[in-house]
Formats: sequence, C-alpha cells, structure tokens
Amino acid sequence: MPMSFRPKEGMPPGALPMLILRVLQSGSLHGYAIAQRIHVLSSEVLAVEEGLLYPTLQKMLVKGWVVADWGTSETNRKVRFYKLTPQGRAQLKAELAGYDRMTQAIQDVLRTA
Amino acid sequence: MGELWRRISYLFNRRRLDSELESDMEFHREMATRAGRNNFGNTLRMREQAREAWGWTWLDRLLQDIHYGARILARSPGFTVLAVLVLGIGIGVNVAAFSFFNMVALKPLPVRDPASLVRLERRSSDSYTSEMAYPSFAFYRDHARTLSAAMAILGVPPMQIDDDLQPTSASFVTPNYFTELGTPAAFGRLFTPALDDSPASQPSVVLSYELWQHRFSADPAIIGRTIRISKRPATVIGILPYDFASLGGQHPALWMPIAQQPYFIQGSKVLTDWNDSTLHMWGRLAPGISSKVAEQDLRALTDEIRKQHPNAVWDNEFIQSSPGGHLQIMQPRMYEAAVIVGVLTLLILAVSCANLGGLMLARAVAREREIGIRIAIGAGRSRILRQLFTESLMLASLGSAAGLALGCVTMRVLLSLPDTPQWVSAVPDWRILLFTAVLTFLAATFFGLAPALQIARQRQQKTIVRQILVAAQVAASCVLLIVAALLVRATQHLIYTDPGFGYEQLISIDSQLGRHGYSPEAARAYLQQMQTRLSSVPGITSVALVRLPPLGHTISNSTTQINGRTVTIYQNWVEPGFFTTMRIPLITGRDFMRGEKRAVIVSESFARQQWLGQNPLGKEIGEGAAKDTVVGVAGDAHINALNDDDAAEQYWSAQPDDMPGMVVIARASGEPGSFTPAIKSISQSLDPKTLPEIRQIKLLYRESVSHLELIATAVSAVGIVAVAMAGIGLIGLVAFTVSQRTKEIAIRIALGARPAAVLAAVLRQFSWPVLLGLIAGTVAAGFGSRLLRIVLYGVSNLDPIGYAAALIVLAAIVAIAALLPARRALRLDIARTLHYD
Repeated sequence: MPMSFRPKEGMPPGALPMLILRVLQSGSLHGYAIAQRIHVLSSEVLAVEEGLLYPTLQKMLVKGWVVADWGTSETNRKVRFYKLTPQGRAQLKAELAGYDRMTQAIQDVLRTA
Repeated sequence: MGELWRRISYLFNRRRLDSELESDMEFHREMATRAGRNNFGNTLRMREQAREAWGWTWLDRLLQDIHYGARILARSPGFTVLAVLVLGIGIGVNVAAFSFFNMVALKPLPVRDPASLVRLERRSSDSYTSEMAYPSFAFYRDHARTLSAAMAILGVPPMQIDDDLQPTSASFVTPNYFTELGTPAAFGRLFTPALDDSPASQPSVVLSYELWQHRFSADPAIIGRTIRISKRPATVIGILPYDFASLGGQHPALWMPIAQQPYFIQGSKVLTDWNDSTLHMWGRLAPGISSKVAEQDLRALTDEIRKQHPNAVWDNEFIQSSPGGHLQIMQPRMYEAAVIVGVLTLLILAVSCANLGGLMLARAVAREREIGIRIAIGAGRSRILRQLFTESLMLASLGSAAGLALGCVTMRVLLSLPDTPQWVSAVPDWRILLFTAVLTFLAATFFGLAPALQIARQRQQKTIVRQILVAAQVAASCVLLIVAALLVRATQHLIYTDPGFGYEQLISIDSQLGRHGYSPEAARAYLQQMQTRLSSVPGITSVALVRLPPLGHTISNSTTQINGRTVTIYQNWVEPGFFTTMRIPLITGRDFMRGEKRAVIVSESFARQQWLGQNPLGKEIGEGAAKDTVVGVAGDAHINALNDDDAAEQYWSAQPDDMPGMVVIARASGEPGSFTPAIKSISQSLDPKTLPEIRQIKLLYRESVSHLELIATAVSAVGIVAVAMAGIGLIGLVAFTVSQRTKEIAIRIALGARPAAVLAAVLRQFSWPVLLGLIAGTVAAGFGSRLLRIVLYGVSNLDPIGYAAALIVLAAIVAIAALLPARRALRLDIARTLHYD
C-alpha cells in the first residue's frame, strides 16, 4: 500500500471506512460533505485529507459498500452523492461490533493493569 | 463474486469513472477553497492513488510498458528482425520437436474414452514381445475382470485383391475392435460382435477410406459386392471413415474379422495354436481400475495359463499394461531418444538466447543515456527493470510466434509423408501453445535478464557478462556440431562399409507356409520343389533357405557378455548353401550339413572376441548340456542389423521343424525385379493357396540407408544453423567491442602498434571464453554422446575424426567471426577518431 494510505491526524488504521459508513448511515452525502461531517462531528479533531478520502471511497465502491449517484450540491453543481448499500450497512454493523469489542478490551486492560 | 464483477466493470468504464473521480475531487477543492483552506497536493498523483483501489494499476503500467517497448523495437527494425529470426529458429526447433512428441505420445487418439485404453504386452525379466497367441488372448479376454473389453489385431503380410499386381496391406481384428473405439462407418457397416464373431458367418471385409478412394474409385455401390482377397471371395460390408484413428498407428487397407482368418489364410492354425504369438492385444480398463490392478489380475491369469499350457508361457512371464490411447506406445528406449532430441534442441535455444543476450548487451550501451534520463526524472530501478523485461518478453513473443509458425510448417511437411494417419493435424493444440508460452518466458529470462540487470544498475559495461555469453555460445554450438559430426560419420560408415553380404542381386521369397498350416514334411517338400524349379530358371545362380532373411520383418537377438563387454548376438537358422548364396565368405571350417545338430557357425568378430588368437574350430559354446561345437567361421554380415557394427552372428543348421517358417533366398545374375513373374508362377503351380512375398534386398537396403541419411542431414543442418548463429553473435560482439574501444585503438595505432598487436588487444578478451567454451563443449559432448550409442553404430562416441572435424570447423568459424569485424580496427581513420570530441 502506498505511503499516503497511512492514517493522518492520529486516526487509527482502518477507522476511516467505519467513520464514512457511519456518517452515510443517515443519508447520502458527497465527498466533501463526508470529510466535513467527520471533521465537525469529531469537534475538529479529525481532518480527512482528500488524498486519503478518495482512495478509501473508491475502495468502498469496489467492495460494494457504497454506491455513487449524481446529484446537485448546495452550490448548484453536479456532483456525486455516496449512498450506503445494504452490504454497507452490514459492514458498518460488523465494524462497530468489532470496534466495541476492541475498545472494551483496551479499556479493561487500562483499568485493571 | 460481486466485487470481481465490479472490478471488471471498472476496467471497462475506466475513462468515465476517472472523469467522475476527477469531478469529485475538483468539487472538493472548490469547497475547500471556499472554506478558506488551501490544498497544494498533486491532483494527478492523488487521483492515481485513488484509482489504485480499482486494482488495475498493473494493467496500466503493463500497457504503458508495452507501448513504450513497441516504440523502442520499431525504432530499430534491423535489430528487431534479427532478434526475432534468431529466436524464431531457436524456439521453432523446440516447438517442432515437441509437436512431434506431442503427436506421438501425448495427444489422445480421437476415439471413445482413450484414457482407459491399454496396450497389453508379454514381458519377463529377460524377454519381451509385443505379440501374443490368440488362445492366450481369448483366455485373458474371457477371464480378466479388470478389463471391460479386450481387442486384438493380427497383422498379416500384404494380400492380393482380385488380380492386382500390387499387394495390399491387411489385418484381422476382433469384431469388437471398431465398436470399442466408437468408430462410425463412412459407408455400410463395420464389424460387430453379434454378426462377425463366428467362422461360419459370411466372409466379409472392411476397406480403408483411402483404398476405397483409389482402388475402387470411391464407388458407394461397392458395399455388398464380392471381391477376392488372396483368391478367397469376401463381401465388402463397409468403408472406414477418412480420419479413422486406429490403435498403435496401424492402418492397413483391408480389415477382416479374426474369426474368419482360417478362411482367408487356408490351413492357418493361428486361432488354436497356443505357441503362435502373432497378434497385438489391447484392453479397456474397467471403470475405476488402474493399470497396476489390471496387471495383478492378469498375472494370476498368466499363472493359470502356465498350469494348462506350460509351453505357452515363459518363466516369470507377466503382462505389462501401458497407456494405449496415443499414436505410439512409448517404450523406455523411445523416451531415451526423446530426451536426446530434447537436449539437442534446447542447446539450440541456448545458443540463440546467448546470441541475443550479446546483442542486447551491445544495445545497452546505446540506451545508457535514455535509461539515465528516465532514472533522473524519477523512475525506480524496479520500474526500469520491469520495462526492460517487458521488452524482452515482447521480443520473445514475436520470436515464439515465428517459432510456432516454423514448428507448424515442419509438422506439415512431416505429415505430408505417406503412412501418416489422416486424423493427425499440424495445427498446434493447447499443449503446444503452453509449451511455447513456457519457452517464451524462459527465453526472455535467459537472454533478457542479464542485460536488463546491468542496464538498470547503470553499471559500467562489464566484460565478464559478455565473456560468459561467448563461452556459453561456443560450448553449446560445440556440442551440437560434435553430435552432428558423429551422426554424419555413422551414416558415412554405414553407406561406405560393405554390409558383409552381396545384397545387390538377392531376392527373398517368403511363402509363409506356417501361416497356411503346412506340416514340417509338407513344407520340406514344397521348399525342395521351389528350390529345384528356381535353380532351373535361367539367370538364377544360387538358391538357399534361411529362417530370418536379410532385412526381414523379424529379427532375433540376444545379448551376452564376452570378456566384460556386452555383445549383441544375432541368431539365424540356415540350410547348406546359404553362405554361398549370400556371398558371405567362410573364413575357416566348413558349411553345415543338412539338418546337422550340435553344430554352430559363428561370425568372425564373435570368434575374435571370444577366442582371440586361438583356433575357434572345435570350441564349444552354449550352456549346460546343450553345447554346440563351432564347425566354421563366417565373415561378418549384419544381415538384420545393418547399422550395428558391434553385432556378432551365430548360425545353426535348420532343423526339420523349422521348415514351415523358412524363406527362400535366390541370387540372380540379372535385374532381380525381372524374376518376379517366374517366381509367382512357380509358387502358383506348387500351391495356389500360397502367395509368396517377394522382396528385392537391394531396395530394402537402400531404403534403410536413406532413412539414416535423412536423420544425419537434418541434424547436420541444425548444427550448421546453430554454428552460424554463434558466428553471427560473435561478429556482433567483436564489432561492438571495436566500436566501444575506437579511441584506445586509434591511440595505440598512432603510437606505432603493429596490426597484430592491435588485433590481439581487441580479441584478447574473447580468447579465453572461446577456449573455455570449446573445452566445456567437448567434455559435455564426450559425456553426453554416450546416450547416442543407440544410433551411432560403427562409430565410437569418442570418434577422434568426428571430434576433430567439428572442432576445426567451429574454430574456423569463430576465428572468421572474430577477425572480420576486428579488421575494422586496423582501418580506422586515426586522425578523425582522435579529433572527435
């Protein structure tokens, strides 16, 4: 995997797809909105660079977790909106469960050690 | 699965998807700029990274490389054409050899379920025959539970249709032969067990397509008509298809049911005689049964036969089962031959690859600048290496295409020879294509990798790689040339050596009395008459009887150790007068007396090896009580092993029981062919049932020699091609060295170096690789040619003349190839060279 796929801004590896899936759960968004939403929701801690966002989105398209449809942006520009597929929902569920297990485990260690 | 499909659709919609991605990212920028954040990333690069998720980057790079490679190759058409030619020859020779092997041993016959067909042959620890007696066959067929079917074919000498002058090839088969192979009739019907398994059924015959075309003008009305086969009427019931594939490559023109064999060959006891091994047996393995299991089953049956008919089975006999669904049943010896041919053809490929490697190295210099620029603007080493290897692969693919064409043409020529079954085609099948693909890759690696590594490393051109290439080329062509020389010597030996008997005026007359059920007494009477009447024919000077006539259908030999050396002994059983008729000199001792027992005449070379310096007469040979006394020594005459100089002969006097199998040989003073009518009329008047096979030994001899000549010519041609390629390669390398060192040479000349010193300076770096190559090649040939013993009759595999000839030719070519371009060094325009840059 090329260098630029490494997480920036301290984002844990593999977290971005999960975050994208999560922000898309409530409805379809275009690429910039996805980045913005993550940025805002994380209280501006997480910044999603386009060098990371678009490769990840492409991967998710290929995996069939999301589909892209043409729509119109708030600036009245023709742009693609990404939408979760049933497969993507299932993936999100699985990732969340995995993530919960992982944080729980880490918490356990931190608390008892 | 869904993901794979998406990936593939991404591949086909790349252009659209890429522009969509671009628009996405453009929008992202717009929005980011609006939000007051400036992003200075490389859009192109980021898009490329995003595209990598589709998983087709490798394809893009490959296409790029191919595009670039094609431009490079097109820019130097001279080099490309030369390289493709050189590779085409190297690969083509291999493809042709493999195609032949494929046709013979790999391609399944186009019959029903070829994989379950097995060839069943009699074997024991010291004996081997591919023929079996009919009663044994029937016993196996009826009792073997591991075989779902057993088929047999009985080849017989050519038979006569109506009053034809030319005899026609013929075979008898079991009635299930065609049904088991799933052969449909082109016209009429073929044999079936229901209709043709009884001697009482109507005599019938099936014709080959070719015979029907040529002899019967493709007349469909021939079905149901009666023709005479060796004077016996039979109904034509069907025509075989045009592309009929028979077992074991046997394609006679006339096919008759084996149950009617005694009808066609009157008096024959083939169907009842346990000791008359004449037919070829095939089986079809029952479902789920392996060849080994079947062998076990048959071994038990062999033991059963031994109990009932002790004489019909050898000690330790067993039935060997080998895959039968190919054109040729491969014997271990044939695999050996295949390995020899394979090694030789791979050597040719090695020469062409080494040659091309040299050319590529020379080109590497010219490309140093180009590659340097590419590295300077950021191309990685591995990327450059991949690019260069892609180029090599492209060259190799072009060469392979040429080689495939060459192989195809060779096969087509080969298939145009008579006796090739019609179903065999020259069109390459998947095995040949796979073989070519593997060869392409190997060749590309071999000739492309060293130069590619060197270029990608941007190292100074090292002479050592060049030297290794030269040594490899010289060594490989050395082996090829030596092998060619040995084969030429063997052929010459055969052609110019007296075979030891006067073959020019000989006729052999085989009445096959045994096949007609003659008793020994009746046969004696018949042969006596035949001899007397022949002798009275004007022009026939001498007549005798022999069991195994010269260049006959069967030979008998055994091997024995004499003073630690393995000697092949050819046995024969003769009547008095044989040696005179054959013009084989009796060196010492006497001829046989008729029916003499316990007496043997040995050949000169046998006597010399066995009792060097002693008088062989009166010596005893043989084991146990059955010792034979030597009564005479005859000159060496390899009548049934023309090309085996190491053969020795032993003759015994024919016994009364041998008579039904004896063959008449006659010496004629005129043209031997002109006696055929007289011989035919004699045999007709003696017994109209018999139709003797009359053969002129002269023609058989010429045929056998021409085969060897053909082989030697082919190998020599291949050897010369290899040497020529090596020569061209060397010319290229030396020319390159000269051009590389122009300045140094000019300085040397300017400083007063003599021409010889200049040449030495240029050629010094090639002298030891050439020498090393010559030595390595000679040593390799010395060891490798031991394998060639089977074809090198009469010539030692270390034959000094053959080696000397090969080495001299090679050295001369190498010298010319080196000196031609090196001379250029002497004609340099010194002033201009030194003024230049």
